[in-house]
Amino acid sequence: MPTPDCLVVIPAYNEGASVAAVVAGARALPGAVVLVVSDASEDDTVAVALDAGATVLELPARLGAWGAIQTGLRYARRHGFRQVLTLDADGQHPTEALPRLRAALGRDDVVIGTCPARLSLARRIAWTYFRLLTGLKVVDVTSGLRAYGPRAIDLLARSEASLLDYQDIGVLLLLSGQGLTIHELPVAMRKRENGHSRVFSSWFSVVRYMVHTTVLCLAQIRRRLPEEAGA
Amino acid sequence: MSLIVVTLAIGLALAGTILYMVRRDHLHGPYALGWLLLAAGIIGLSAFPRVIDRIGEMTGVYYPPILLCLVAIAALLIKSLLGDLQRSRQERALRRLSQKLAILEQDMEEMRVRQGLPALRREPGRD
Repeated sequence: MPTPDCLVVIPAYNEGASVAAVVAGARALPGAVVLVVSDASEDDTVAVALDAGATVLELPARLGAWGAIQTGLRYARRHGFRQVLTLDADGQHPTEALPRLRAALGRDDVVIGTCPARLSLARRIAWTYFRLLTGLKVVDVTSGLRAYGPRAIDLLARSEASLLDYQDIGVLLLLSGQGLTIHELPVAMRKRENGHSRVFSSWFSVVRYMVHTTVLCLAQIRRRLPEEAGA
Repeated sequence: MSLIVVTLAIGLALAGTILYMVRRDHLHGPYALGWLLLAAGIIGLSAFPRVIDRIGEMTGVYYPPILLCLVAIAALLIKSLLGDLQRSRQERALRRLSQKLAILEQDMEEMRVRQGLPALRREPGRD
């Protein structure tokens, strides 16, 4: 068997109830290593994920979903993985979609698994607004089911991406701003088995998210990152 | 006269407090410099309060004391912005360090396993 070049990154914060099934599903993918990044979980997520056969990274402080995913991307870069697939630990993303996501990665730098049927009216309005603001052509910007190729891994592992808080518009703007291509793949998703959306949990957090992301969009316009030293 | 005494006392107390904080290792050197300059300014102005009136006359400000308020508010705004910039830098460094720590811990663990050493105890939530 060749050395695996694909890393499946599963960010998890207190997902002890669902992470084992997700790890098991991801391990069915041939030639892939499964990495769970525990975002300073307080429950048994780490032990459960280890038992399920995953490699586990434990963050010493809570960095949020994107901080955990970036940890996985940096791990991938360090260990020479050429592909990173990400999915949520709560079981909403079907692991059967991973091979399709991986296959689509050959043509584009980033593939996003989206489920348009699942979007609520509020989200449709919000995403339309952000599409107009940014010129991005992505339908479901927050989907955590993604595949990143080597160029995307290199770019997103940089410290310029470390102050982002969500794996959404900021990340996509960074990618498209540097000329990387993004492709969307329709995927049927399940309802969250437990837990709920961090972004759409209350009206206050929605407003905060909209303002925060609008500022991010305006600040990112035509931003080119300097060449990386030694790249 | 009493105004001079009060402001002089404030300036001296501020300077004394800053030196004490540095001495007790509660305040990082570069920050202390700025605060000491501020204390010096307060002491200077309290000793020569006429200076403000003179500056007001020179710049054509009708009510000179407002000049002091204006400068103070501007200084506070700049200070607060610099503070946020500093915090952002620290936040970035903290995130990068946390990530690297988690990665290195796992790499070390793998190396131990390869060398046949016993696994280290994992203690979630106690870092």
